[in-house]
Amino acid sequence: MTTMIRVENVAKAFTLHNQGGVRLPVFGDVNFSVEAGEALVLAGASGAGKSSLLRILYGNYRPSSGTIHITHGGKPVDIVAAVPRTVLDIRRRTLGFVSQFLRVIPRVSALDIVRDPLLARGATPEEASERAKAMLARLNLPERLWNLAPATFSGGEQQRVNIARSFVDPSAIMLIDEPTASLDAANRDVVVELIAEARGKGSAIVGIFHDEAVRERVATRYLDITDFRKAS
Amino acid sequence: MTLHATFPDTALDPAPLLSVAGVSRFYGERIGCKDVSFDLWPGEVLGVVGESGSGKSTLLRCLAGIDRPDAGEVLFRGLDTPLDIYSVPEQERRKLMRTAWGIVHQNPRDGLRMDVSAGGNVGERLMDRGDRHYGQIRERALDWLSRVEISGTRIDDRPRQFSGGMQQRLQIARVLVSEPRLVFMDEPTGGLDVSVQAKLLDLLRVLVRDLGLAAIIVTHDLAVARLLTDRLMVMKDGHVIEQGLTDQVLDDPHHAYTQLLTSAVLSV
Repeated sequence: MTTMIRVENVAKAFTLHNQGGVRLPVFGDVNFSVEAGEALVLAGASGAGKSSLLRILYGNYRPSSGTIHITHGGKPVDIVAAVPRTVLDIRRRTLGFVSQFLRVIPRVSALDIVRDPLLARGATPEEASERAKAMLARLNLPERLWNLAPATFSGGEQQRVNIARSFVDPSAIMLIDEPTASLDAANRDVVVELIAEARGKGSAIVGIFHDEAVRERVATRYLDITDFRKAS
Repeated sequence: MTLHATFPDTALDPAPLLSVAGVSRFYGERIGCKDVSFDLWPGEVLGVVGESGSGKSTLLRCLAGIDRPDAGEVLFRGLDTPLDIYSVPEQERRKLMRTAWGIVHQNPRDGLRMDVSAGGNVGERLMDRGDRHYGQIRERALDWLSRVEISGTRIDDRPRQFSGGMQQRLQIARVLVSEPRLVFMDEPTGGLDVSVQAKLLDLLRVLVRDLGLAAIIVTHDLAVARLLTDRLMVMKDGHVIEQGLTDQVLDDPHHAYTQLLTSAVLSV
């Protein structure tokens, strides 16, 4: 087994300087690792810090202490200590984040949004288009929307564009935050399949799933964040 | 339109393109900017944010070779040998500014020659770097006008006949036609309507990515910073108070002032 993520002694607290310097501890003493091909599902009540932990793994939030080694290009790299361009390189080649929300860029079509990661990894424009179209079709996004910018799409349509972009070329590590929140049953099933396929190709998955049925179909292992909260 | 991202392979990076060490500039007693140091690598886009008077434009002018800093060093490695830009004569620095790097001013009138045709504005930069073949220069000018979405039929019109948004796009074509390694932008979408801004931002984003440019962008607009930059420096009272990966600084700001800045925005 290949360890893809190794989290050691991570703690996180937010200090709100403009609200009287309030310090909000989230968790402490977080230790775990994730192997290739695993799907680790984060559990714990709302507000326990599941999303914060996911963002810390992505290098988006900075932990107050600790190290997070991401296996990138065959070597462990501490994303906490890495310089910005290394973090960006890790994200481009190794680490994907699937959020509930699509960050809409003015004027860029759904198809181009989905093609983007393929092009960034060196696919030809033709190949990228073909795979992007197949993925949008699989997620039941009407073809008439493909060449439109998703700013005017419904929440569920935007979410599917986002999922298509993330799974068109799954990263070695996928961090997933509530991907099925506003999807119907059919599309939820597609997402569950996509996650299973990515795992089959060796991706390590860490995710938050509100929907219990989805959670049970996806998880190979659970991690309860509440345990770490006590240590904060 | 592609979104092709050309990131540097960090393992292969030879050296930063620009190394800034201890740059300070004072206006009498008042601090313009103080003790600013950072490295910029090829293909990296650095944003400098802060409110009016924070020193971000002063810093940009020092870095871009426009105003000599009172202290510090700006080392450019885009040529055969590293060059401390303030150690060379004015003339040499001006030549560098016209060829190896580019400056996009907030007001296009500061970056364009208003009495010269659009084609002339773009072609002039090519002549600066030694191109002499008229047909080729005109062809390249036409190509760049289309890349910034200005119709070729406008090539002989003067910039004063253009709208503000077109003038800004023309300025960008004029700067990028000579394929600079490094581009400085001061509030590039500053004076434009929101709808025109969106178009320009998308254009800039695609050009910066496709050309693998290194860029330093000064803006007070955090949404612009989020869309265009990889890294962010936050300035207040002439000092850099926080810096890091753009999404880190915006989503998990640590300094009191950065928290104030990000919480004052509706949604970025």
